[in-house]
Amino acid sequence: MSVSFQSLTKRFGADLAIDSLDLDIEPESFTVFCGPPKCGKSVLFRLLVGLETPDSGSIILNGTDITRIGPANRQVGYVPQSFALYPHLTVYQNIAYPLTLARRPKDEIARRVDRAAGILSITHLLEKTPDLLSGGEKQRTAVARGLLHDASVFVLDDPLVGLDYKLRERLMDELKSLQTELKATFLYATSDSMEALTMAERLIVLDKGRKVQDGSVETVYREPDHLRAMELIGFPRANLIGGRHSSGLLEAGPFRIPLHRDTPGEVVIGIRPEAIKLGGNQGIAASAEVRLVEDLGSEYVVYLDSNGQALTAAYPVGDSPAPAFQSSQGFAVEPRDIVIFDAGSGARIGRGAA
Amino acid sequence: MADIIIDHVTKRFGTFTAVDDLDIRFSDGDVTCLLGPSGCGKTTLMRMIAGLETPSSGRILFGERDVTQLPPRKRNIGMVFQYPVMYPTLSVAENIAQPLKHDRSLSRGERERRVEEVLDLLDMRKQARAFIDDLDAGSRQKVAVGRSVARQTDIVLFDEPTTNVEVNAKLQLIRTFKAVTQRLKQTIVYVTHDQTEAMTLADRIALMKDGSIVQYDAPRRLYNDPSTEFGGWFLGNPGMNFIAAERRGNQLHATILDSPLDVASDLGGGEIVLGIRPENVLMHSEPGPGSVEGRVTEQTIGIAGRNLARIAVGSAVIKVKADGPAPVAADGTVQLSFPRDRILVFRNGARVTL
Repeated sequence: MSVSFQSLTKRFGADLAIDSLDLDIEPESFTVFCGPPKCGKSVLFRLLVGLETPDSGSIILNGTDITRIGPANRQVGYVPQSFALYPHLTVYQNIAYPLTLARRPKDEIARRVDRAAGILSITHLLEKTPDLLSGGEKQRTAVARGLLHDASVFVLDDPLVGLDYKLRERLMDELKSLQTELKATFLYATSDSMEALTMAERLIVLDKGRKVQDGSVETVYREPDHLRAMELIGFPRANLIGGRHSSGLLEAGPFRIPLHRDTPGEVVIGIRPEAIKLGGNQGIAASAEVRLVEDLGSEYVVYLDSNGQALTAAYPVGDSPAPAFQSSQGFAVEPRDIVIFDAGSGARIGRGAA
Repeated sequence: MADIIIDHVTKRFGTFTAVDDLDIRFSDGDVTCLLGPSGCGKTTLMRMIAGLETPSSGRILFGERDVTQLPPRKRNIGMVFQYPVMYPTLSVAENIAQPLKHDRSLSRGERERRVEEVLDLLDMRKQARAFIDDLDAGSRQKVAVGRSVARQTDIVLFDEPTTNVEVNAKLQLIRTFKAVTQRLKQTIVYVTHDQTEAMTLADRIALMKDGSIVQYDAPRRLYNDPSTEFGGWFLGNPGMNFIAAERRGNQLHATILDSPLDVASDLGGGEIVLGIRPENVLMHSEPGPGSVEGRVTEQTIGIAGRNLARIAVGSAVIKVKADGPAPVAADGTVQLSFPRDRILVFRNGARVTL
């Protein structure tokens, strides 16, 4: 099923939560929404599910305007960010709830509950009541329940937040295969950069109720259009440094970049961790103290202090040995790897060099 | 100075065995991380070392001294918990000094000297007079670290101290931890579920699962040479690829192998699985010696901007990490090679050396 938002606007008092948003989502696609807290992603999901009513605009599901249809008749599966389980029901009954409500046959319910519980590794908990579960187990129960709606559009609002990394890694794989298998349309919000990168076919970055970038992971990562896109997408996080531009020279932290453009005065520069080359001398060179080296197994993440400016560098293990803790290191950044944003609007202005 | 000796220790809670006949020695002056998923027994083991739980059977020794039946206060150890207990009405310096007051062997001058030294180590001299309540969670946890090391006990235990600390403060805390432990050379046991934290901090990692230590090794050794499938999966972002193999005589056959892999004749029966890390699989545009054909099902971006591809080879899906996009041919295929020296063989979950 396709989903389409047309000039959708939602206000809460003076706050503009969704600001005339236009968006078409293809059937059977996996779209990930990213944004800072209060960017509007949860509100957008609640609008689609029918838990909020828009101030203006419409929501179209597979060609049908559902803007005024009640939540029960929308056929949208929903895994909310904050969930409640029925305390008097077992995990099995909680997961089965949407199907029981839809009066599905018992054997079909059993089959589908077992499958969902298997995916989320909670089969051993099916006979327990929620008060006996840990926080993560409750969360997985809620995800399983959300996935059992008879729907072909599913809305998942940060479903894996707070779970252990290894469990999330596996659940990401499982959710992806499930989406393919169900031939369903998934709208998925996350606050986690690795999740966004791993899951998205299409990545939408929201800021203040507006879409600031919309594209493939590759595009959003390599060519961020907006400060928020660079800030939120990528692990480890990009280095963002406030700076000033005047008469052809941009100064930001340890970086001085000659610019021939008509650049605004207040800017933010963004540099990916992998663009900071330790021991390099191509481009703008400086030195820093090594504050910490994290070993990720196949990458090192190096936290630097360059004259009071914190910087994060990252590179594959095997390229060169890890620098010593608290040692002094030279590094260099190529000007074309520096992305420059307008500090006011967040819009991208250009790069340090073509 | 003291090794920590765990001598056939078992701990049961009712019918549940939390720690199962552990027999291991943590060396004097080492930072040992107890790493594993929730429920693996790491916290129970730490609590037994602390004296907060009594083993159901077995002994715990600090060097020559059997402490199995000693209460925590008689064990002469420092402890740092997830939620540090502090004196809110006392300053940072007074909190650090507090445990030293009970030590009658210390002169006042010596006490003051130690507090100063710890403040320097923590890089908190400026906050010495600040009250605990005015600090953020990360700084509070730093004070807790300082307080437990100031006593200069031979052994200090840490129970997931970074759990409730936000990302930047966490880095600060880890950095402080690293600086302090390198200086003071106490025997440290540090419980965590975070593989990066363990890889970054530990001299040795005790990887735990279901109440047992599956491997006790230096971090890079554990990463490169896991003794179990579990270790290959648990460490790594993402973890190791596993591919089912079939044994025919002295040879192993698998979809990723263009020609069989010779093995010893005494390999024994059971399930044989080949493991290879995503960064060790090589991609080529043209077939070459040893290469097999795969179909790219997905391409995305992983840590530090590296490309991460999923490639179907027969019925297996292989994750490949590379510093560039997959060289996909017009028909969607790519050639993969699996260097033989990077392939690990597991039988029933345990590593087999060929």
